[in-house]
Amino acid sequence: MTGAKSRIIWGIGLLLVGISLLLGLSVSRLTRPVWSVTTFFKEAENDHQAGVVYTVKDEQGRVISQASRRVTVGDEIFTAEGRHYRVTGVKGNTAYARYLGMDRDLLAYNEYYSHLGVPAVRMMARSTRPVGIYHTHSDESYVPTDGSESIPFKGGIYQVGEALVNRLKNSGVRVDYDRTPHDPHDDNAYYRSRRTAVKLMQNNPIAIFDVHRDGVSDPGYYQRYISNEDVAQTRLVVGRENPRMQANLDFAKRLMSYANSLHKPVVKEIFTAKGNYNQDLMPTALLIEAGTHTNTKGEAERGIALLADAVPVVLGLTGPAPGGAPKPVTDRTAGTPGSWKALGWIIALTLLGGGAFLLISAGSWDRAKSRLSDFFGREFASFFAPRRARKPDLDTAEKATETPAEGHRDPDAGEAARDHLERIRQD
Amino acid sequence: MTGFPVGITALIVISLLIFFGLAHRALDRMRLTDRGALAVIVAMIVGSFISLPIPGGRYPVSINVGGGLFPLGLSIYLLSRAGTAAERIRALVGAGITAVVVYAVGSLVMRGLPEPGGRYEILDALWLYPLVAGLVGYLAGRSRRAAFVSATLGLLVLDVGYYFWLVSRGAPAGRVAIGGAGAFDAIVLAGILAVLLAEVVGEVRERLQGGPVSKGRPEALLRALRKPEMATVGNGGNRIDRESPENDEGGTLK
Repeated sequence: MTGAKSRIIWGIGLLLVGISLLLGLSVSRLTRPVWSVTTFFKEAENDHQAGVVYTVKDEQGRVISQASRRVTVGDEIFTAEGRHYRVTGVKGNTAYARYLGMDRDLLAYNEYYSHLGVPAVRMMARSTRPVGIYHTHSDESYVPTDGSESIPFKGGIYQVGEALVNRLKNSGVRVDYDRTPHDPHDDNAYYRSRRTAVKLMQNNPIAIFDVHRDGVSDPGYYQRYISNEDVAQTRLVVGRENPRMQANLDFAKRLMSYANSLHKPVVKEIFTAKGNYNQDLMPTALLIEAGTHTNTKGEAERGIALLADAVPVVLGLTGPAPGGAPKPVTDRTAGTPGSWKALGWIIALTLLGGGAFLLISAGSWDRAKSRLSDFFGREFASFFAPRRARKPDLDTAEKATETPAEGHRDPDAGEAARDHLERIRQD
Repeated sequence: MTGFPVGITALIVISLLIFFGLAHRALDRMRLTDRGALAVIVAMIVGSFISLPIPGGRYPVSINVGGGLFPLGLSIYLLSRAGTAAERIRALVGAGITAVVVYAVGSLVMRGLPEPGGRYEILDALWLYPLVAGLVGYLAGRSRRAAFVSATLGLLVLDVGYYFWLVSRGAPAGRVAIGGAGAFDAIVLAGILAVLLAEVVGEVRERLQGGPVSKGRPEALLRALRKPEMATVGNGGNRIDRESPENDEGGTLK
């Protein structure tokens, strides 16, 4: 008994040491250059003054991207040209990314859409399903125009959302715009906005967009002159902590590719970040960052309006797709490699997790195997055959346990006994 | 979800099946029969479409039947069926701690300018809550049911707290939709994942110590653990070794 106990204590102790080592390493890396207990809980405005902006560089030292968030190993970037990078290391505020080659899907989309020429918008509406729009961080604002980067409950982001809504409506798209604020600006905001997203989903939307602005301090990072306008570019964010992310990523690639074929380069890049961002709710749920807080609101409004031009065609909301173009996301016959990939992941993870648990709880291969066959015999027998038909199985099980078999019993009595046992054995 | 191609539709359907399959496994452990668990799931899905407004407040408050009312009811049912007062208190304390920890991590630590998730965003709120609630609940009550109660009640407390936060800040607008995302609400997800987490932790712990402790346990319990002829009847949680009683494995003992 004492041996077993000490083994547990050792096990837990080792686990704790491991976890604290991991935490210590990652915390020290992410809190550099300033760290103290008070800054940990302090309002985050200081963050930006401390210059916590991550620069992502490739192997040659060229700057690929900037982010106002902590970049972690494994984050991926798809640039407008189709270049695909994965972050392989983070040192201070610089992240190093490896070039993984050109993304095949994006190249194909770019190729298709570049032949399209004039946008095929303002045709007969094909679907009346709405597009849902909401803001998880409803305080986000633009410093040059709004005077602050955060105005609780009524940030400048609402006007940017409005610009997106108006442009979509002008091209004949039905829009559901939910203005519920989800303040304060924190990670729990996604917990609150999840309800808003589901409320939007009750109207059977074809896609839902969560509109944000970025927090990169350099305004020039997003400023461009596109289609005769001064605009702030947009960035599409796909959450990696979403089991179905491949499907969302596929949608993001289509949207970026087509938007950039209309107004190059209004979408700067796709960033796959840690988080879920309620994207598990729909394969066509996306997070859009419209410029950054140091851009003017006008720039952001014009930028997101240009992006809106691409939405109806990519979603198949207007007219038949022109010849040569990839089918819209919602076309029943469209190929959706992302969805199949996501499906594969989900099934593989479920099998792996279930298998590992079975093995741990059973303790050995043989027992796991017998339990599995037992499970299938039991669960499916009760579906396909009357209970009585399984009596012989029960008898063999009884014999195996070397307890006196009681022969055929009244099923009701069995039920009662089972309930009794269940009650006793539950902890 | 009509109008999507086969790939997307298959993805949605199968992930839903897996989600509700896991939910069924979890509910199975909650003093519910197989059929009872299935009924609760169906009720939660149907209830997802019904939100009951709670009148009288300054801001619109509503509670969703599938995402708020059912988890709440199940928690109260579990508390009422708890064996001892100590178990009840442990579960309630666990719920309180869960609410505080979730608030501290989600609202104090992971906030700020960096987009899209705040400064120290490492794990999305959706996955963080069940993790916190599952751990706190399991440590507080060392049982799956305590984990479930901690997770669901903890998040419900957080929602109530949010209403008072809105009032105290004098927010011009706001909405508290408790369990508003129905069967996909973080409350439901947290409850289910907390139970599964407690199950995994319990199994690993048991395996680590080489089977449950059988010495000094009440005879009735040990007999139940051996559970000879019920071996194929209960649920997936059967842990039966058809060997000698000393080496017997049973349900998670605490």
